[in-house]
Amino acid sequence: MNEAFSRQDLERRRNAARRLGWVLGIAVLAIYILGLFVKR
Amino acid sequence: MAGYALVTRTTNQVVRNRGEGLHRKLISLASTAAIPGAASAAYSFNFPEPVTPIARETLHIHNEFMLVITVLFVVVFAIMIYSMIKHRKSSGHAPAKFTGPSGAMQWLWALIPFAILLFIDFILMGIPAVKAIVNMEDTKTQADIVLKITGMQWKWQYEYPEAGVKYISTLATPRDQITNTADKGEHYLLEVDKPVVLPVGKKIRILLTSTDVIHTWWVPQFGVKRDAVPGFLRETWVLIEKPGTYRGQCAELCGKDHGFMPVVVRAVPEPEYLAWLETQKAEAKAANSGADRIWSREELMAAGEETYEKICAACHQPNGQGLPPAFPALAGSKLVNGPLLGMDGKIIPDSHVDRVLNGKAGTAMQAFRNSLSDVEIASIITFERNSFGNKKGDMIQPAQIKALR
Amino acid sequence: MSTATTHTAEHPAKNYHGGWLRWLTTTNHKDIGTMYLTFSLIMFFVGGLMILAVRAELFQPGLQLMKPEFFNQLIGVHALVMIFAALMPAATGFANWMLPLMIGAPDMALPRLNNWGFWLLPPAAILLTLPFTLALFGIGDGALATGWTFYAPLSVQGGMGVDFAILAVHILGISSIMGSINIIVTIFNMRAPGMTMMKLPLFAWGWLITAFLLIATLPVLAGAVTMLLTDRHFGTHFFDAAGGGDPILFQHLFWFFGHPEVYILLLPVWGLMPHVLSTFSRKPTYGYKAQVYSFIAIGLLSVVVWAHHFFTAGMPVPALIYFMFSTMAISLPLAVLFFCWIATMWKGAMTFETPMLFALGFIVLFGVAGLTGLLLADVAADAQYHHSYFVVAHFHYALFAGGIMGVMTGVYYWLPKWTGHMYSEKLGKLHFWLTVLSFNLTFIPQFFLGLAGMPRRIPDYALQFAEFNAISTVGAFILGLSQLIFAWNIWSCVRGGDKADSRAWEGAEGLEWELSSPPAHHTWETQPVIK
Repeated sequence: MNEAFSRQDLERRRNAARRLGWVLGIAVLAIYILGLFVKR
Repeated sequence: MAGYALVTRTTNQVVRNRGEGLHRKLISLASTAAIPGAASAAYSFNFPEPVTPIARETLHIHNEFMLVITVLFVVVFAIMIYSMIKHRKSSGHAPAKFTGPSGAMQWLWALIPFAILLFIDFILMGIPAVKAIVNMEDTKTQADIVLKITGMQWKWQYEYPEAGVKYISTLATPRDQITNTADKGEHYLLEVDKPVVLPVGKKIRILLTSTDVIHTWWVPQFGVKRDAVPGFLRETWVLIEKPGTYRGQCAELCGKDHGFMPVVVRAVPEPEYLAWLETQKAEAKAANSGADRIWSREELMAAGEETYEKICAACHQPNGQGLPPAFPALAGSKLVNGPLLGMDGKIIPDSHVDRVLNGKAGTAMQAFRNSLSDVEIASIITFERNSFGNKKGDMIQPAQIKALR
Repeated sequence: MSTATTHTAEHPAKNYHGGWLRWLTTTNHKDIGTMYLTFSLIMFFVGGLMILAVRAELFQPGLQLMKPEFFNQLIGVHALVMIFAALMPAATGFANWMLPLMIGAPDMALPRLNNWGFWLLPPAAILLTLPFTLALFGIGDGALATGWTFYAPLSVQGGMGVDFAILAVHILGISSIMGSINIIVTIFNMRAPGMTMMKLPLFAWGWLITAFLLIATLPVLAGAVTMLLTDRHFGTHFFDAAGGGDPILFQHLFWFFGHPEVYILLLPVWGLMPHVLSTFSRKPTYGYKAQVYSFIAIGLLSVVVWAHHFFTAGMPVPALIYFMFSTMAISLPLAVLFFCWIATMWKGAMTFETPMLFALGFIVLFGVAGLTGLLLADVAADAQYHHSYFVVAHFHYALFAGGIMGVMTGVYYWLPKWTGHMYSEKLGKLHFWLTVLSFNLTFIPQFFLGLAGMPRRIPDYALQFAEFNAISTVGAFILGLSQLIFAWNIWSCVRGGDKADSRAWEGAEGLEWELSSPPAHHTWETQPVIK
């Protein structure tokens, strides 16, 4: 059972998740704004 | 009985097509035989009879592909059903443990379906498809005649540019048939006042556009379907092989009467077509010369009423009440009751005359300057200003409209 | 394994009758999953009622019940509701409930984002349906009447219903994006020790690809409808030729989202199938790696085939040929999936409880969708199929027999886990058979209607289409009524029933089946260790 995640482990993972979440969100915004400039 | 008739018709058609491979005949027969014999006129299970080379090609591709996917379906699900019967807990079958192919034999079993599908998609069906596409898109080689089609909400306009003939074709089914207060005719919803007339045996290059939203011109028996896009010109072609009347519909949602703007084409031998074209040219001349004389109020009102019912009533309603907010009422309308022309005899922006000639951008009100004649426009405007409770008392002459264009 | 329940006193596991504040503010993945599923079921019936009204009008030629304008509203809103308010929330509900349980995580990585993602949905649903109500009071002329595809310039012309739909789509999109971000970061960061990516349950893989597709394509849809909004109200001309724009640009942008969207609707279900088939065949999943690679291949391919939705719009020959071949290419990884599903069953020891029935029905009927998709991909023949009832039949085989029946599979499979009770197997089987038979009765005639030349989206039709339309309508009503059995079964199961074990199904494998049924409010507080 001590191979399971410790308190700090969970903290770290959640922070990593939050960072990745922001990166993905910004990517989404970038695609959106880029799309507005697409013209034929 | 009817099933037999289907088979006979297909066989005859197959025999008539010279130079077609044996496999084509076999496929047609096989796919028709697969249709339950209980077919009657109302239960059709395949495309209607093709009358152009493209439609025949399409039918063949469809039949062939249908056969292929039917075989795939049957084989795969036979295996599945076999498994469901054989590999049951209740019959004591002990479950295996394999999770992937082991040994060359099993890899072969796994990869063969993949290879078969690859062959079917890219070779068996893909190559003929490419040939058919190139043929379908070749609108210019040896084209004999040009037909220009303009889609509008909710009618088609047909133009023979070389002959200077242009007219609008609208649904001819009476309203009471649609509202179920009269029995429906045989060609319910597939009949028009003025069909397209085309010669058989000639390649016709078709140009399409629209005045408002995207419509799609479709005649199933021609195998032709092409979008009519506002502001752009699209192309397709037909070569009708046999005389007859062929019916189709608009195939792109274009507003409330999308289901009520059919296509009717009368294909006739060339001499008949040419004769028809002559009469159309004469009619066009007569209509255009409407601007050459003064029209009385009664004449304008009568012509206006007729044109209003055909062209305007769909939106503004026969009683002029409209369907606000999308379709404003003409009765008591500020626009209709406004001044006819400016002091200088010119068009006032956003006036009644302006609206009919130039439409209103961003709404369903299209510009009619290119689809209606001087007589039609002058008579509609006169009619609207003196109907539905409007009592302007004025009128406008076709000659004035002609000058104002 | 641990089923630690240190908070049982504060959060009793089986308490579905908490105060409303609990539901408004919960960050618990099980609660949020339950809300998604409940919302989805309600909207499924709303969308279903709409289309039953449509089928009633189409029962006979002539206009009997409604004006064409209203008909056009019903068909478009039906689609938006089914896609965005029924199918996607159901799949998201599954993800929320099951992903943490399956990967040994205590909850989703971003629990508060999870709550926001759900609560955006009810306002969006109201926005979609509000225009109907407003029109009853004479405000505006109803909901959007352009079909769910919003094509310009018709959508530029439309009344305020279009604006409501645009706003709803934006909100639904943001909700899905939030959910997708959460799923991706959870799968990447929160797996229990020892669970490598190649040990991830296939349901998680399916959702992982889905989530990436969502965040890549939803912004493009949002962009397209924003451009539509500015064309409508702020003087732009993106889709107006007179102003230098092009109506077809809208179709490109819309379908760049629209095609991946159908795989977004299907991938979670494809991820679920191996679980169910393996469980009821009592056999390990066949071709795990092959299925993972197929999901990825399908995801990648799905983004480069969009123009097959508008082959008749007039595009250059090289484009037609490219899109035809790329579309057909998707049949290859899809065939791999079918192979693996059947190979999972092969030489197993099968029983045929309701989840298995639905899974098998799904394979057969979704197979029809895939095969008819091949026909549609053929540009030469597509001239006849496009915008006809053939297409309508095809995509209902894909989205109902595929998507919705897939969801039903998941519901029956996981209800014992969620509630701790077995549902009524008799009612489940009855629901299955009625659904499958009436579904086919509804949609097989529509294939023939398309071939005979009947266009889509018309409220009235020529006489030769009458017989098949009548049959289809009868099928539709039976199909609709049959779903009441489903709702009743779910409701009864929630309230009580035979007790379900942790391993509710004999052949079920996976971390989620080691937890109690129902699981504690907080699970995997201490991570399991995967060998």
